[in-house]
Amino acid sequence: MALNLTINTSDPPLGVLLAAEHVKNAVQVSVEEGKDNSLHISDSIQFSDANSICRYLARVAPALGLYGANMMEQTEVDHWLEFSARRLCDQPDLTSALGDLDKALSLRTFLVGRALTLADLSVWAALKDRSDWPGQGKPFPHVSRWFFFLNSQAPFSAVGTKYGRQKS
Amino acid sequence: MALRELASLEKYLGLKKPNKYSTQGDKKVPVLQNNNAPPLVGLVTIACHLAKEAKRPELLGDGAEGRAVVQQWLEYRVTKLDGHAKEDTRSILKDLNLYLQDKVYLAGNQFTLADVLMYYGIHAIVLDLAVQEKEQYVNVARWFDHIQHHPGVRHHLPPVVVLRNRLYTSRHH
Repeated sequence: MALNLTINTSDPPLGVLLAAEHVKNAVQVSVEEGKDNSLHISDSIQFSDANSICRYLARVAPALGLYGANMMEQTEVDHWLEFSARRLCDQPDLTSALGDLDKALSLRTFLVGRALTLADLSVWAALKDRSDWPGQGKPFPHVSRWFFFLNSQAPFSAVGTKYGRQKS
Repeated sequence: MALRELASLEKYLGLKKPNKYSTQGDKKVPVLQNNNAPPLVGLVTIACHLAKEAKRPELLGDGAEGRAVVQQWLEYRVTKLDGHAKEDTRSILKDLNLYLQDKVYLAGNQFTLADVLMYYGIHAIVLDLAVQEKEQYVNVARWFDHIQHHPGVRHHLPPVVVLRNRLYTSRHH
């Protein structure tokens, strides 16, 4: 099954691109540049919302565990997808959201479970878009540790350098 | 103790044939008899040899800097951590907690032999900590929990419960 992903080049959806990068060995995903984000599955089914695309990609490649390992983790992943869409994107002030995120990350290496999930991809992508997140260090040590750890991993650095710059 | 560690390390590395070890001296320093070479002496020396034998050179660190950091923690393990006096426990935990604040692994962003041997070495200390103390040394607790769940690492050791949410946040902020 080949999937067709079109991305908005003027505002590339980093989370979607990361998800596509992670599943590329399990499913065939072709990436085209265009004006809007959409995942074309069949003539009658298309997804245009970033979270919907991510969820679909994670579900077609269950072996990767991007949607968590059990029902509780799936719910946590959903929580973080919602969190990044509502509290990190298009918000003027990130301080309280970052405070909550910092608390959640103090005893965790990854946001959900003990491995990478959509939660990490989506929250990382939202923060990557916000080069202004305060301090990048001192006030939120756990967020910055987590953020720079992910930055250093291969798919993240690839997507970050390829598409991150087009934005700024 | 060191011999069980080496046996666990062999399993983690997926080495098929377990080696035969002996010990030497009062401190029971492990010795590996090597078929056609002089015997290898000491935990760290043997551990590095096993990593090379298993063709996992990345466990010894990436680049000159990474390798130096790994060796530094291996040395720390056998000189500072092993046989430390009881009153030094707090300062060991405090220093490690500060160091791990901005790191996932001891060598930064990459899992290495330093994480495995420090985890084996510090297990008894962390096992004894109260819930509140584990939260006081929150970065140690997080690193420890991550390593004990790293696939294949925790062989001979019992798992330690680490809470994933903080209970005493108001006190330690």
